[in-house]
Amino acid sequence: MLKMHNIRKSYRTDTIETHALRDFSLEVAEGEFVSVTGPSGSGKTTFLNIAGLLETSTGGQYLLDGEDVSGLNDRDRSRLRNEKIGFIFQGFNLIPDLNLFDNIDVPLRYRGFNAKERRKRIEKVLEQVGLAARAKHLPAQLSGGQQQRVAIARALAGEPRFLLADEPTGNLDSLMARQVMELLEFINEWGTTIVMVTHDPDLARRAHRNIQIVDGQVSDMRNANSVAEAATA
Amino acid sequence: MFGYYISLALRSIRGTPILSALMIAAIAVGVGAAMTTLTLNHMMSQNPLDRKDSVLYAVQLDGWDPNEAYDSNNQMPWQLTYKDAQALLRSDIPTHQIAMHRTGFTVEKDNSDLRPFTADTRATTRDFFTLFDVPFIYGGTWNADADKSPVQQVVLSKETNDKLFDGENSVGKSISLNGEPFTVVGVIDHWNPVPKVYDLNNGPFNDSEELYIPFGLHRRFEMYSWGNTNGWKNDDSEGYEGFLQSENIWIQYWVQLDTAEQVEQYRDFLTGYIRQQKEQGRFERPLKFGLSHPSEWLVLNEALRDDNRVLGWLSLAFLLVCVVNAVALLLAKFLRKAPEAGVRRALGASRNAVFTQHLIESACIGITGGLFGILLAILGLQSVKHLAMGYIDQLAYMDWQMVLAAIGLAILASLLAGAYPAWRISRTNPSIYLKTQ
Ligand SMILES: Nc1ncnc2c1ncn2[C@@H]1O[C@H](COP(=O)(O)OP(=O)(O)OP(=O)(O)O)[C@@H](O)[C@H]1O
Ligand SMILES: [Mg+2]
Repeated sequence: MLKMHNIRKSYRTDTIETHALRDFSLEVAEGEFVSVTGPSGSGKTTFLNIAGLLETSTGGQYLLDGEDVSGLNDRDRSRLRNEKIGFIFQGFNLIPDLNLFDNIDVPLRYRGFNAKERRKRIEKVLEQVGLAARAKHLPAQLSGGQQQRVAIARALAGEPRFLLADEPTGNLDSLMARQVMELLEFINEWGTTIVMVTHDPDLARRAHRNIQIVDGQVSDMRNANSVAEAATA
Repeated sequence: MFGYYISLALRSIRGTPILSALMIAAIAVGVGAAMTTLTLNHMMSQNPLDRKDSVLYAVQLDGWDPNEAYDSNNQMPWQLTYKDAQALLRSDIPTHQIAMHRTGFTVEKDNSDLRPFTADTRATTRDFFTLFDVPFIYGGTWNADADKSPVQQVVLSKETNDKLFDGENSVGKSISLNGEPFTVVGVIDHWNPVPKVYDLNNGPFNDSEELYIPFGLHRRFEMYSWGNTNGWKNDDSEGYEGFLQSENIWIQYWVQLDTAEQVEQYRDFLTGYIRQQKEQGRFERPLKFGLSHPSEWLVLNEALRDDNRVLGWLSLAFLLVCVVNAVALLLAKFLRKAPEAGVRRALGASRNAVFTQHLIESACIGITGGLFGILLAILGLQSVKHLAMGYIDQLAYMDWQMVLAAIGLAILASLLAGAYPAWRISRTNPSIYLKTQ
C-alpha cells in the first residue's frame, strides 16, 4: 500500500536548515491500522504530509499503491490525493462558513461526481457518523467530537483506501476521543488502511502496529503491546 | 465546476460585505473615470467621413500677410476669402465642390402659433449634400443656378421639419426667413457628424445646422459668418460689397477628386490660379496651397487636443491606482482565507483549481465593479454635458464600442487585480495552514 525508502525532507530558511526526516523508511500493508508516536518535533506530521502528497520529499523513493509518486506533477498528485487519501486533522479543519453537507461535498466536487452521486454519498457518510440530522448546521454549532466526526465523514465520502489522521483526538476529552477511535476502528474493519499519529499511548496500543519516530527516523518497530511501557517510560 | 466556483465566489463576497463593497467601489471609480475621459477622446478622434476619406479634400490657399505666416499647424489660413472661393467654384475639375459658411436666420411660419426662433444656418453650394453623402427624406437640393443668383429656397434638417411641419413632407411649402419667403425644396434625415469635420474652426463639436440655403444669397441678405472671420489687411473698401472683396477669410471649401488625374489637374489649377493672382499683386507669400483628406484635416485642426490625450493617460493611471488598491484588499482577504484553501488542497484541489476559484471570485468583483463603473461613466458624461452646456453634447454619449470597451476594461482590471492574489494563495504550502486552526 505504502512504501517509503530513504525519504528525506529538509526545510531551509535563511538562517537554518532543519532535517525533518532523514533516511526514513517504512512499509504499510493494505488494511493495516498503524499508530505513530514520538516526541514533539520529531517529524510525524511531516511524514503524514509526504505520505498524503501534500508535500514533496527532498529525496528518497515513495511508492503509493505500487506507483512511484516522486515525479508526479501537482495535478496528478492532487488527483491521487482526492481519490485515494483521506485526511483528518487535530484541529478538525472544517470550512467554517459551509454547513456540514457542503463541507463533505468539497472532495466530491473535485472528484467530479454528479449532484445525485454526491448527495447519496454525503447522506451515507453522515449516517455512518451519526449526524444525518444536522446536515444543515454550521461547524460552529457542533461540539468538538461532533466536528471531528464530520471531518471523518468528509475524509470517507470519497471512499479512500488510505486514511491519514494527525492527532485526531488531540483536542477531545477522553470520552469523545474513545468514540472517535471506535469509529476509526470500525472504518478500518471495512478495509481502509489507517495511519494515525497520536500522543495517547492507550490509543496507540489499540492499533495493529505502532511505530515510533525519533529525530526524523523510525526508531523502533514492535507490536503495539509493548508501546505502553515505551510511551510512559 | 464553473458553477461551483461562482457559488463559492458569491458566498465569499456576501460573507465580507464591507470589504467586497470597498473593492467593487475601487474598481467602479477607476473604470468610471477612465471610461468618461476615454469616451470623450474616442468621440473626438472619430472620423465621420471615413467612408469617403480618400476622395475628399479640404482646400487651403496661402494668401495671408506677406510679413507673417498664418498661425495654424501648417502655416496656412484655415478658411478662404469670398472672392477666392468664387474663383475656385469656376473650376470644373472636381466631381463635387462646395463653398460654404455658417450663419443664422430668424424662422417664422405663417398661420401658425409657433414663435419665431433663430436657426443655425449653413449657406452653401448645392454639392454639399452629395459630397458629404447627406441622406434626404423628402425632395432634394436646389438647382445649380441658385448658387449664383438669389433663389430663395431652403433645405430643412429633420429636426427643423419635425418642429415646423410635424415631420410631414414639406416640399413646396413656404417658410419665412428674416421676414422673406423661402420655399422648402428638401428635408434631410438626421445627420450629425462628430466631430463636425466639415467646419472644425467654428465649433468642432457643435450640432449640424438646422437650415441650408443657397450660396447665391449673399448680396441679397448681406450674410456674415456665424463663426470666425479673420483678416490681416486694412481694406478701405466700404460696405458689404467691400467685405466680399476683402482679404478676410471666412469660407470653408471642400472638393471631391475621384481619380489621381483629377488630383493632378486640380493641383495644376490651384498653382495656375495663385500665379495669376500673384501677377495682380495678391498672394505675396511663397506659393502654397493645401489639400487635406478629412482624416488629415482632423489631425491638423487638433480635434483631439494634446491635453485630452494627457487626460486619457491620466485616467488610465488613476484606474491603475484603483486596481492596485483592489489588489491589496483582495490579497488581504485571500490570505485570511488561506486555511480554507489549505483544506481544499488536502481534499484534492490542485493548485490550478485553487487559482481558478479565486480568480473567478476576483472576476465577479471586477465585473460588478465594471458595471457600476459604466453607470458612473454615464453619470460622468451627463455632468460633462451639463458643465459644457451643450458645447459637446454630441460627444457625451457612449456608443456600443465604448460599452464593450468598458466591460472589457472592467474584466481586465479585475483579472489584473485578482491574478496576483489568486496566484499567491494557490502557491502557498497547504501544510502550514493545516497544523492548527
Ligand atoms: N514549514 C516548515 N518550515 C520549517 N521547518 C519546519 C516546517 N514544518 C516543520 N518544520 C520542522 O520540522 C521538524 C518536524 O516537524 P513536525 O511538524 O513533523 O513535527 P511533529 O513530530 O509533528 O511534532 P508535533 O508532535 O509537535 O506535532 C520540526 O523541527 C519543525 O520545526
Ligand atoms: Mg505534528
